[in-house]
Amino acid sequence: MAEERRGSWFGFGFCGFGQALGSGRGRQVHSPEPLQTPGEDADVCRVSASWSYTAFVTRGGRLELSGSAGCAAGGCRDAWASEALLVVLRAGPGRGAGTELQAWAPGSALSGEPLWAHTVGPEAEGEDAPGGEPQAGALPLLPGARAYVSPRPPFYSPLAPELRARRLELGAEHALLLDEAGQVFSWGQGRHGQLGHGTLEAELEPRPLEALQGVPMAEVAAGGWHSVCVSETGDIYIWGWNESGQLALPSRSLAEVGKTAAGEASGPKEDGSDVRTAEGESGGLAPFIAIQPFPALLDLPPGTDAVKASCGSRHTAVVTRTGELYTWGWGKYGQLGHEDTSSLDRPRRVEYFVDKRLQDMYTSKQHGGHRPNPRW
Amino acid sequence: MAGAGTLREALRALLPPTKEELTLQLGETVERSVVRLLREAVELFCGGRGDECLQASEAILDYSWEKLNTGPWRDVHRDWRRVYAFGCLLKAVCLCEETGDAGAVAAALRVCDMGLLMGAAILGDILTKVAAVLQAHLPSGKRPAPGPAQEQPHEKRRNLRPQDSNLLRSLSWEVVGKFRHSPSEDIAGTEWQRGNVAHPSCIFLPKARHDHVRIPDVRSERTVPRLRCPSLQHFRKHFLVPGRPVILEGVADQWPCMKKWSLEYIQDVAGCRTVPVEVGSRYTDEEWSQTLMTVNEFISKYIRDEIPELKRDISIPDYCCLGDGDEEEITINAWFGPQGTVSPLHQDPQQNFLAQVTGRKYIRLYSPQESEALYPHDTHLLHNTSQVDVENPDLEKFPKFAEAPFLSCILCPGEILFIPVKYWHYVRALDLSFSVSFWWS
Repeated sequence: MAEERRGSWFGFGFCGFGQALGSGRGRQVHSPEPLQTPGEDADVCRVSASWSYTAFVTRGGRLELSGSAGCAAGGCRDAWASEALLVVLRAGPGRGAGTELQAWAPGSALSGEPLWAHTVGPEAEGEDAPGGEPQAGALPLLPGARAYVSPRPPFYSPLAPELRARRLELGAEHALLLDEAGQVFSWGQGRHGQLGHGTLEAELEPRPLEALQGVPMAEVAAGGWHSVCVSETGDIYIWGWNESGQLALPSRSLAEVGKTAAGEASGPKEDGSDVRTAEGESGGLAPFIAIQPFPALLDLPPGTDAVKASCGSRHTAVVTRTGELYTWGWGKYGQLGHEDTSSLDRPRRVEYFVDKRLQDMYTSKQHGGHRPNPRW
Repeated sequence: MAGAGTLREALRALLPPTKEELTLQLGETVERSVVRLLREAVELFCGGRGDECLQASEAILDYSWEKLNTGPWRDVHRDWRRVYAFGCLLKAVCLCEETGDAGAVAAALRVCDMGLLMGAAILGDILTKVAAVLQAHLPSGKRPAPGPAQEQPHEKRRNLRPQDSNLLRSLSWEVVGKFRHSPSEDIAGTEWQRGNVAHPSCIFLPKARHDHVRIPDVRSERTVPRLRCPSLQHFRKHFLVPGRPVILEGVADQWPCMKKWSLEYIQDVAGCRTVPVEVGSRYTDEEWSQTLMTVNEFISKYIRDEIPELKRDISIPDYCCLGDGDEEEITINAWFGPQGTVSPLHQDPQQNFLAQVTGRKYIRLYSPQESEALYPHDTHLLHNTSQVDVENPDLEKFPKFAEAPFLSCILCPGEILFIPVKYWHYVRALDLSFSVSFWWS
């Protein structure tokens, strides 16, 4: 067993391109394994994983890619990985030149010219934390919160300053924004209910989630077609597509495989009709939910407060105040970390971390933490 | 029953002879990493590493499936559908490489069907050919015919004609059903069927199975005019250009004579094929859902009666040549469902010939000029669907509907209804019904 020092990173899920997950054997890692990160683990301040490669950024400004794209470069404050584009925030040349935002083809090894570049104005520098520490992990939100990047056109989009964005997350076809006051906004396509406004309509501009007004949120996370936010008091609100149980609501497809947590597996009755319900724990009949178009409050075991949420395309992970990790949703590639490939429609603790205290995951301003494979 | 060996040979014979030809020409939309994985999968396949090829194919399928589910269906890039089809091809062939047992072959056929339903044609429409080979290696799916049957125990499976193959690919199976607690459920690529138009068709459940069918008295309504084999010019001048509906009689009489369409034939040629089925009382209701099942499952579950045999085959009406598109651009769909099936009032973005094959349909038509009185949904997804239940309208909620003029008819076997583009139409099947629609521009 590899050493696990304080401040270690772990990973699990799909690694069909040789991304630095643990031993690197096979295409999938079903149980957490220590990550092969560049240099000292504690040095890594940002991990951004796409489907086929992973980007690591260290405190020293070093960027390393592993997987289908492999390279190393210096002078990087932040990186954000997607299949089409690798976006990097680099210290600009010369004094007072500000930071430069660069977009590269992942396979380019950061040599030659970037696909495009954009200077982030010096006023953005003033937004750093009081300690002067660079705000790694804010991408796709740019420093200064005046704009954000996207892997799809338009690649660079301005944000209204009134929004006072603190955090921005992108799904496959929607965006979530958390402002300084803890209000959540969403926009983009809504056909899977991922915007949370109660309809399936698209929104062109950021629209506040009325259902959550008055409940200050601390975190937001976007999956492919679902959305999660964590309140300052540790509650989880979740909405969008539930086709693999990623909302921790009863999912018909899982029931048909006999895996629903809500009681007996349903199947055709003798007279040929289908029982399309799930037994609720109280014995009442609970409907299957494919789409949840407005926020639902999620029940974790009593006494657990969430502090961080992170989503893959069709699964969800939450870290609690006591350092536990819960995952649910699509599990076919072991991305739930439960040592199997089952999907789940209810939260389940990742046992591997029971005797460890997780501090953070995925994007980090602190030391250590784990990284569930963010896409699968 | 053919063994695994002959199946394997038959499948291999369909594939391109060289590794280099087992490839797709893809544009910029498909990311390099995916192209690399595709190449790797082919290497594994040609190297005889079936299990690993299966793993790689699964990853290809899962990744491209997510692309198929991103954005409206019509905006999904064709290359992603081709990638998906390619993944289905590799997976289907790998599933049968080791064992030719019925379970593996049925699973492979299901994979082919998914590739045909959601993918795009690749390598000379190879999935259709692979599906045909797989079908030939499955036991016949016929159910025992009720009453005096002319069953021949070892009847050779009839081969699917190419034109029927296209028809079956577009088959939409409507079903009567009302399930408790079945909230709206969508399957991947909901809008893919029927020429990429979100086409509503919902199902009306009679209160009792042998309920008296309400046949509308069309004599009290303005009827759709009828013409016997008009000339192309006449049709164009008086109906196509001004956008007026008409029933064409006698056109089907000129189609080739072939007694073929029966439940037995459908089961024989397509019993094990997977098709989309719509379930629920209304497209717009919470209980509406789509699901996939084999044709055998559909028939045994929902169809009680035999369909009267059609005496004529189905051809594209000559009048379609008056349109702008090629023959390949005509979308042909088959609609098969029990008595009582209802399509709520809606409009389509193309010209439509609706050919009735067996059974009768009550159809009501409203001009696009009456749209306001039909109260279309204001959501983008359903703006081509009316909120009004035509035969049971809520006139308090939809007052203008009462005054909206319309044409109606009972469409009988052998007749073809011309529904001009954007013309609102409502359909109720008075009998077990089989229709074919031709969408053209």
